[in-house]
Amino acid sequence: MSVGKEFIKGMVRENPVFRLLLGLCPVLATSSSVMNAIGMGVSVIFVLVASNTLVSLLRNFIPPKIRIPIYISIIATFVTVVDLIMAGFFPDLHKSLGMFIKLIVVNCIILGRAEAFASKNNTFYAIIDGLGMGIGFTFSMIIIATIRELLGNGTWLNMPVFGTQFEPVLIFVLAPGAFITLGFIIGGMNWLDHRRAAIATKS
Amino acid sequence: MSHPFTISPSPHVRDDDSIQRIMFSVILALLPAGFYAMYLFGPRVIWLNFIAIGAAVITEVLCQLVMKRPIRISDGSAILTGLLLAYNIPASTPLWMPAVGSIVGILVGKQVFGGIGYNPMNPALVGRAFLMASWPVHMTVFNIAPHGGTLSGIDAMTAATPLNAFKHIRSILLHADQYTTNEVAEASVTLSKLYGSYSNLFIGKVGGCIGETSALLLLIGAAFLMSRHIIGWKIPFMYVTTVFILTWVFGGVAGLFSGNPLFHILSGGLILGAFYMATDMVTTPVTFKGRILFGVGCGFFTVVIRLWGGYPEGVSYAILLMNLTTPLIDRLTKPKVFGG
Amino acid sequence: MKEIFKFALVLGLVTGIAACALGVVNQITQPRIALQQQLALNAGLYRVLPGSENGCIIEQHLDGLNMYYTGYLNRDTTDFIGYALPVESKGYSSTIRTLVGLDSLRNIISLKILFQQETPGLGTKCEEVRPGETEPWFQYQFKGLFVPDVALDKNGGSIHCITGATITSAAITDAVKESSVKLFSEL
Repeated sequence: MSVGKEFIKGMVRENPVFRLLLGLCPVLATSSSVMNAIGMGVSVIFVLVASNTLVSLLRNFIPPKIRIPIYISIIATFVTVVDLIMAGFFPDLHKSLGMFIKLIVVNCIILGRAEAFASKNNTFYAIIDGLGMGIGFTFSMIIIATIRELLGNGTWLNMPVFGTQFEPVLIFVLAPGAFITLGFIIGGMNWLDHRRAAIATKS
Repeated sequence: MSHPFTISPSPHVRDDDSIQRIMFSVILALLPAGFYAMYLFGPRVIWLNFIAIGAAVITEVLCQLVMKRPIRISDGSAILTGLLLAYNIPASTPLWMPAVGSIVGILVGKQVFGGIGYNPMNPALVGRAFLMASWPVHMTVFNIAPHGGTLSGIDAMTAATPLNAFKHIRSILLHADQYTTNEVAEASVTLSKLYGSYSNLFIGKVGGCIGETSALLLLIGAAFLMSRHIIGWKIPFMYVTTVFILTWVFGGVAGLFSGNPLFHILSGGLILGAFYMATDMVTTPVTFKGRILFGVGCGFFTVVIRLWGGYPEGVSYAILLMNLTTPLIDRLTKPKVFGG
Repeated sequence: MKEIFKFALVLGLVTGIAACALGVVNQITQPRIALQQQLALNAGLYRVLPGSENGCIIEQHLDGLNMYYTGYLNRDTTDFIGYALPVESKGYSSTIRTLVGLDSLRNIISLKILFQQETPGLGTKCEEVRPGETEPWFQYQFKGLFVPDVALDKNGGSIHCITGATITSAAITDAVKESSVKLFSEL
């Protein structure tokens, strides 16, 4: 087990959004602008690292039969912390992310990493895993949000990109646009994989 | 790579029809309504049609090149998609819009699923839904009145299509307590005028999307297609009948059974949708019972959207919704194996 | 049986610790959150009751009516500016919260939408500022209107509908009129 490998795997090979297809609800719902994507991503990184750390520390004390409710309690606690801090210090971001901060509790990535990784590995690797997965999640969110905000609003991070002549393609900031964008990105990644595999078999 | 068998999309029915013959017959049947639209809304209509068809064909070729599939534009399906898309937008839309609609229709509605025969939804309607969600103002504001007529088909109200006018008036009459008696009286006069404008609706001298206005010409085309057995009677008949019954029962302002079903059948895109888009072979059920069910479902959703929904017209969304249920309907109504 | 008590104990311990931790975080953040909400409300109040930032605003309650505010130009509450009335209305996809400033002659001083989550590109245009302008055009239309005259253009008033967002426009307009009329009839 190498530190680098555990950290990198969340970016591409086991990317939570494009590869594991986990936690798609917040991805689809809050990727309509880059600012929201960053806010959501940072919140997820915090909750993921914190819950991974705690689950890993407690892994020898948690009775296996009631591990899920305990994981959920831990995750819910950290999510509430994020929610309160955001409400107090970043009210605008809190307003636009709304319900979805609270919904991080049911984000499958976090419970998934607790169950699949943190409960079986030591704390150091659990933190690395949480960081890698969290950054991979944020990175994917920013890619989707960039496409959606550019096309659907004509801006990037609220800065106008196209001239006033551009009539925004509204569907991209609405729900169907999120599905279309995600579908094409996943399709593109699979296509790249097939190509790579084909080249590998040829040589 | 070669397959030992020819792999072809459903329905697997032995028939002499080629895709090409079907597609070009449908295009031929649609042409009269298109020429009439040019007369009604002006030469702009020609451009919108050409741009929509051109964009559809180019997108199809490019997709097939990129995906290394055989180039099959000669089957006419992309041309038909472009034509139907142009028929489904107002004449006043900017010229780039039919192009975007066609590109999305072909790419997202058809090619990503594997091309002709594999698309779950009607590509032209996918394009229209995309345009509707993206530029709702362009898609719902009609401001080119038909030649020698008004948008609503009557003199009392000149700024809206018949269905828009109907929706507005119905909401006034249903909430009469919130309006002055004068407004209510005016609304009921306008409503009776709308109901009396059958001849304009039937000929098509009203505002609306390019190809949907003339019930007469669309029905002539449909009769031609039916005589050549290209479209069946089940879906259009059940669709129109369902709309007739539901609008008669629920469409009125004086309680049940006070609606005017003929108005609802002749206005908006119902005839175009029922005969030309709900009959697409790929996206509709193959069984007898399935087609009956499909037609009823389309009619149901159309009426629900028209009477209680946010939009004045619901034909395109109704057909898209029912397209998605096609695999389920086919499974539900699959005939039992004999003796099984 | 013995296991169940152990599980209950562990779960109780975990949730207990979580509750304590949350209590601490809540203690720290609560004043901040209250401050933020106050700031947001004040920003709205100063906007609809211009001049009150140097004077004062007092919360008022009436029987059978939500609370409203009275604004004064000075701190000893003699120089009256007007009333500020929070209005809630059901829009197309969200509850729209609006703050209306009204003077004693039943004219609208100004209107500020505090919260809305309407359809992007349609209903959200109720907060749109057109290029070259400084105020949101939809809300600006209410400025100076006599309350009984408030109505959408299609109903004979002067408020232009947001194109493609009739429900949002009507929801705001109707609720503003209704609540204001109610306030003046109760005063």
